[in-house]
Amino acid sequence: MDQPIWITFLVTFLILNVLLIGMAYVTWFERKVLARFQDRLGPTRTGPFGLLQPIADAVKLLGKEDLVPAAADRWVFLFAPVVTFMTALIAAAVIPFGDTVSIFGQNVDLFAADLNVAALFVLAVGGVGIYGIILGGWASANRFSLLGALRSAAQVVSYELILGFSLVGIFIMTGTLSLREIMLQQYETLSIGPFEISNWFILSQPLAFVLFMIAAVAETNRAPFDLPEAESELVAGFHTEYSSFRFSLYFLGEYISMMVISLFASTLFLGGTSGPGVEKYWGLGILWLVLKVVAFLFFYVWLRATLPRFRFDQLMGLAWKVLLPLALLNILLTAFFRLLANGQVF
Amino acid sequence: MPWDVIFFYTIAAICLFTGLLVVVSESPVHSAIFLVLCFVNVAGIFVMQGAEFLAVLQIIVYSGAVLVLLLFVLMLIDPDKLPSFYTARPLQRYVSLLIGLVLLLEVGAAIITRPAIEAIGPDTPEAIAAVGGNVQAIGRIIFTDYALALEMTSLVLTVGVVGAVVLGLPERLGEKARESRSTISLGHPRGSSDILGPGPRFETPIDVPAGRTTAPQGPRKVVMAKSPDDYTRAGEISR
Repeated sequence: MDQPIWITFLVTFLILNVLLIGMAYVTWFERKVLARFQDRLGPTRTGPFGLLQPIADAVKLLGKEDLVPAAADRWVFLFAPVVTFMTALIAAAVIPFGDTVSIFGQNVDLFAADLNVAALFVLAVGGVGIYGIILGGWASANRFSLLGALRSAAQVVSYELILGFSLVGIFIMTGTLSLREIMLQQYETLSIGPFEISNWFILSQPLAFVLFMIAAVAETNRAPFDLPEAESELVAGFHTEYSSFRFSLYFLGEYISMMVISLFASTLFLGGTSGPGVEKYWGLGILWLVLKVVAFLFFYVWLRATLPRFRFDQLMGLAWKVLLPLALLNILLTAFFRLLANGQVF
Repeated sequence: MPWDVIFFYTIAAICLFTGLLVVVSESPVHSAIFLVLCFVNVAGIFVMQGAEFLAVLQIIVYSGAVLVLLLFVLMLIDPDKLPSFYTARPLQRYVSLLIGLVLLLEVGAAIITRPAIEAIGPDTPEAIAAVGGNVQAIGRIIFTDYALALEMTSLVLTVGVVGAVVLGLPERLGEKARESRSTISLGHPRGSSDILGPGPRFETPIDVPAGRTTAPQGPRKVVMAKSPDDYTRAGEISR
């Protein structure tokens, strides 16, 4: 924390802008990839390869009439989408895009903040983000919105638990909650037989990785867990009454939280910026991180294209009866192996 | 004026203001929203004191879980049926204001006159850093000095969960469902009576008894559904 504050602001500004532009182009990416899964082309007319489609979408959405239902609770109705959008962005403040590097002789931290409870901070902010959904559904004065909002809240609270539990194994192994430390510990090399590979935690915590990915898809209300907001269910769930810019705030907030969770998963399980050549060129680290995030986003779109939606009771049953016991089993096994390695068992 | 003083007074002011709005709001959902804001600011104060682990725990547990579930309940209750400060009798209001003021003065007096006002406890930043950080320090205390309290708390929470499951078990409606002329619905923010007023048509044509073409006048009874089975009455074919 010895750098002057203008550098922190500059780094934060860059991260924020990259996220916002990235969010717009994640929508393009999703439409193209979804189209290819469905044997069609996706946007091709707006700009080359449809690259200007997000801009066209933004212009269209901003131009629509902004409706507020007469019976709605006006201030809460206006405030709710903002909560979702803001909390999704705030969670990206602790993601490390690299360690402290020296640019033109000045030490620059390639992250906005290095909290020593960073992993829990992302979970906390995600937990506050569900208020945007609940309050939006309630304030719409529409019983279908309320139902969709309550379903979504129940889903998020249950899967947030699993998200947290799946990370406890990593905390046991690394002894720290700071994302930067967790990322740096994955730079070390493991020798398995004749091979030397980086100590990515996906290798030592495979069960936690699977649970984390399932819980991440459920947290962001994405298919196959998108019952609360699916178009064919409950009209459109909690965002039924939202139009134009407010709807786009929810919609984009969802994409941003997809990106942030992908960044989070890459940092925790795939080593973040680790990859060949990172020690010499820190720019390569950012490239590896971006590739991993794109891989996760592809996985998200792949799930949406292939799997049918879960029914709500199946969704909740899966969380509480299957994933939670598996997460606890993972913690037990990790703790046992850690004690075994320390020689404290036998 | 150093930055941390400015931050502290801002956060404390927001805390107090939102806390006041919790009590003063007319709608219970608004009270819950202001309570969330208050708790997030309390977490900010924890951060300023160097207890960042407690701060994120406060947000995760209190704002992110307890208040969400409280909001569930508040959203499904008809607000007209709750006791309200503004529609109570004047005597009740004045007496409650007086009692509240007395309690506030007591708390103030207790804070101002406590003997250890400048004392420093055992958990100084150096002691915590020596153990390895906040997480390690809290972990040590929880599992050694306060282990009994931890286990008792988890027991109390388990009893709560078991009780909730037992209370929520679906009852068999059977005969009562087939004969009721009621609408099965969840709550509405404005209360149900102005949405589900006496209507001109039945919900399902299959229920129309011979000789009637309009529904009985008067407010419809609302049955809160407890299980998916409540939506189809016994013997009815779902369409």
